[in-house]
Amino acid sequence: MLSVVERLGLTAALFMAAAVPAVAQETTTLGGYGEVHYTNVRGRNTPAEVNLRRFVVYLAHTFNDRLTFRSELEVEDAKVEGGSSGGEVALEQAFLDYRVADALTLRTGLVLPPVGIVNESHEPPTFNGVDRPAFDHDVIPTTWREIGVGIVGQLPVADGWNYRLYLVNGLRADGFSDAEGIRGGRQEGREASFANPSLTGRLEWARPAGGLRVGVSFWYGGTTAGDTLLGRGSFDAPIAVLSADARYQRGPVALRAVLATVSVSDADTINALYGSAVGTRIAGGYLEGAYEFVRHLSAFVRHERYDTQADVPTGTTRDAAFARRVTTFGLSFKPTWNTVFKGDYTLLRTAAGTGGGETLRLGMGYQF
Amino acid sequence: MTQAVPPDKVAASLRRIFGPEAETTVLTVGADTVLRVTRGDTLLGFATVRNVTGKDQPITFLVAIDPDDRLKDVDILVYREPYGGEVAYEAWRRQFRGKSAADSVRVGREIRAISGATISVHAVTLGVKRALADLTHWHQTGAIR
Repeated sequence: MLSVVERLGLTAALFMAAAVPAVAQETTTLGGYGEVHYTNVRGRNTPAEVNLRRFVVYLAHTFNDRLTFRSELEVEDAKVEGGSSGGEVALEQAFLDYRVADALTLRTGLVLPPVGIVNESHEPPTFNGVDRPAFDHDVIPTTWREIGVGIVGQLPVADGWNYRLYLVNGLRADGFSDAEGIRGGRQEGREASFANPSLTGRLEWARPAGGLRVGVSFWYGGTTAGDTLLGRGSFDAPIAVLSADARYQRGPVALRAVLATVSVSDADTINALYGSAVGTRIAGGYLEGAYEFVRHLSAFVRHERYDTQADVPTGTTRDAAFARRVTTFGLSFKPTWNTVFKGDYTLLRTAAGTGGGETLRLGMGYQF
Repeated sequence: MTQAVPPDKVAASLRRIFGPEAETTVLTVGADTVLRVTRGDTLLGFATVRNVTGKDQPITFLVAIDPDDRLKDVDILVYREPYGGEVAYEAWRRQFRGKSAADSVRVGREIRAISGATISVHAVTLGVKRALADLTHWHQTGAIR
């Protein structure tokens, strides 16, 4: 006769299969996100503009319980037309995941460097403000995507630890600029030079009970331009990005903080070669607090401080107009967790006292 | 073809929730399957296993109630996405314990949000609410006893 324990262990295993709902083996998932913006820069002769900023289709296909393809195809600014500037159709992500275990998924394709918060979590309902933080444009160049291979997963040390580590193509130094740092150096998967592969990764900890997630992330690698003057070997004259971030949520309170520093060790050579004025150090961060004072309706304020010329190489003149302070306050109304109506007002000030401005923005966003 | 969810995971989950001496009978309610858990002649509760979809993968979970229709525990049996697996942690799941179908179960209020795991948190919370409501309804109407 079977013991009681065995009855659950063995007999149960036989008939319990009937209790487990079936999961189709090959499935295709369609999703997406998008946002529409109304932007009104304060002042005369700056009429408001409305723009279908992003329309993104998320397409995933699961081949079996180990292999999944995931992608995002984006249309920016609604329309791309031959002969006129503006608009963009681009792949934001396209990669194949092979899941070995909870601790290890192998990833290959066009991936998002896991630096900061917004680069990976960029769906409009996940952040406050109509536009992404300016810091996530000029310091961490979102949406940053490059081609490579990597590993992601949960670190088996304790609950809550996750990591990602990718080897991807490097940045192109000829795209760097004084105002937007390394942004123009992204190759975004288009016939990208692989002369200087770079490493990027992230280690994060989520409080197992929820409410807090902190992470550190980096990017490290040489720049590339097909130019021997800048070095061609791996990690030659590297760009190093270091960032730390935290997200806290408790009841109606939500807080975020991100810090990043980018060092461009080759800035003097890059500037001499391309006539640019790239800083040797690009640094800054932001703090944001939000309070859901009525169910679904939050007020937030965010203060960003960053300088794309925090340090400049000898021979480059520092422009204090690139030392920016951006304060944004506004409202987010989220009828559901994945839809949002936003309104905010942004004050931009610079250390030079010039180049500042004020902007009113309204927006709608969704994801599914 | 289907992806196998090991039935021994269900048995292990029920043992953890109801104790090693629990016995299980499979009941069907329409198209649904309910596990009736007893020890000797004593009813310990009911459980059901379901899937909800996260970003693109199904999350297989088990919801168990006691004879008073209070949620006894939630278990994540299989989590397949590369991130967002925090919903499987005991520290988060235990927030559901003791809830009844009439209780409010909202993300950001009774249930803590997990930044960076928003989709999984909402999917699992909604799935648990529905399973709890179904089990309670079936128990109170005598469809399961």
